[in-house]
Amino acid sequence: MGIEEQVMLFITTIVPIFIVSIILYLIRILKGPTVPDMVIAIDAISYDIAVFLAVLAIYFKSPILISCVIVFVLWAYALDVYVAKYLESKEIGE
Amino acid sequence: MINEILIIIGEVLIAIGAICDLIAAIGMNRFPNFFVRLHALTVGAIGGAFVPLIGVTLLSLGAEFLGVYRFFMAGASIVSAILLLFLAPVGSHAIARAAHRSKAAIVYPKVIDRLEEDRERGVIT
Amino acid sequence: MMLHYILMALSALLSISVVYLAIVERDLIKAAIFSAVQSALYAFLYYLLMAPDIFLTYIPVGVGLYTALILILIKKTERYEGE
Repeated sequence: MGIEEQVMLFITTIVPIFIVSIILYLIRILKGPTVPDMVIAIDAISYDIAVFLAVLAIYFKSPILISCVIVFVLWAYALDVYVAKYLESKEIGE
Repeated sequence: MINEILIIIGEVLIAIGAICDLIAAIGMNRFPNFFVRLHALTVGAIGGAFVPLIGVTLLSLGAEFLGVYRFFMAGASIVSAILLLFLAPVGSHAIARAAHRSKAAIVYPKVIDRLEEDRERGVIT
Repeated sequence: MMLHYILMALSALLSISVVYLAIVERDLIKAAIFSAVQSALYAFLYYLLMAPDIFLTYIPVGVGLYTALILILIKKTERYEGE
């Protein structure tokens, strides 16, 4: 068995773990009682999907797809800062 | 020979990241309130995203079947890993500070909260 | 190439529940966050269809600018939707 088939077999076995964790994070987003719970759950799901995209780029043998990872990581951080600023402005009173 | 070693190390790191993701997802569902769920977010961000991105870097450096663009892939993934290492703690700290100041999170099994008492007495702002 | 179709079907099915909750929800901030999740899942769908250029514009517009605009509008008006 060559090294390529071994990598493909490894990625095929690792994919269901990512799918199960994405579904579990999504359950927390749907249930989440308050707004900060949902925001940290969407943070975690963004990091998880970013790693999943990087692994799938190896599986599809097209390395140019890796440029999507940076975008996903950066804009999840932006959503954090927006919601935090909204909550603090409600507290201060404006 | 060096390619096989890089690929094996990368696969081990990606496997560690997948296991950390699963643990963080289970913890995110079972922990009782917001400030405890932040621990699960840290496991999911550092163990579940930073470590496997380093693994993807090493694996794509060693995999010759990806063609000549594998060096681009290695550079982009290590840049995103370092950005995530800087930005994920900043975001989680910002949302935790905002949730504690505006009392938006329900803290149900609470024993004591000295910071809130000090803020009510006006010792700190 | 069976993995393509399985992941596409999964991401499309998961986005249905989020879209339903975004319509029904009374708290408008929660509705905006559900809309952000929906854009993330749709962007994953575009990635699987091998269109990374659409991905690169869909994430900043759907997760970043749209949510920021909705949050600014909610701050100017009121948070809960009336009957």
